[in-house]
Amino acid sequence: MTVIAVRDTVPAADWREAVLNTAAVLVEAGAAGAAYPEACVRVVEENGPYIVLSKGLALVHARPEEGGLAVGVAAVRLSTPVEFGHPDNDPVDLLLAFCTPDPDAHVGTLSTLARALMGGLADRLRAAPDTGALRAALKEALPDA
Amino acid sequence: MDRPLEILAVCGVGMGSSLMLKMTAEDALRALGVEARVENTDISSARGMTPDVIIGQGMHTSEIEDLAPVVITVSDFLDKDGLEVQLRERLTEKGWLR
Repeated sequence: MTVIAVRDTVPAADWREAVLNTAAVLVEAGAAGAAYPEACVRVVEENGPYIVLSKGLALVHARPEEGGLAVGVAAVRLSTPVEFGHPDNDPVDLLLAFCTPDPDAHVGTLSTLARALMGGLADRLRAAPDTGALRAALKEALPDA
Repeated sequence: MDRPLEILAVCGVGMGSSLMLKMTAEDALRALGVEARVENTDISSARGMTPDVIIGQGMHTSEIEDLAPVVITVSDFLDKDGLEVQLRERLTEKGWLR
């Protein structure tokens, strides 16, 4: 069972706020603990903006011990795109966040999500006319949610 | 090569982005008809491994250029076709693709 949550037109002044606000959706959904968003920011500070894994798309995450309570996936559309400092994939308008309670529990969900992204999920999330459609598009991609 | 290629997808944490890259790589390798075992890990753990091929973003592959005979840099982890082109070229150079 995967917890899913979405937020639309989320404000963010910079990449830090974008990451914090996206991971916060997982906290609000009960899938991650309060410390998880800050941990997701540290991942980028320590390892670079590699989480921007495709054009305009970031995959926000941290290690399970940073507060993963359940397998969760959040999708956030920013009101204004932000720069992560990625050499090819900036600016970012769409963020997906995930969390997992242990290093293996998320593999099925993430694999399904990867398949869906290769099949155009990011564009379907971008094209969703409202929050309900955004949630429906994510739910369709993750049938066990 | 008379055994499956060992391929390592790397990222910072070794759990999310590299898992997605692993899926993309498996699709590209299947399209090329290459027998391979693909694993994903974080950049620090990668330093202790001896794969045939490493795939990752430039900010990571630049740190581990000497770790494998073939190091491939990709900026889009979901671009199966782009990765397939790079794999075809680099594996052919090594004689690992017939």
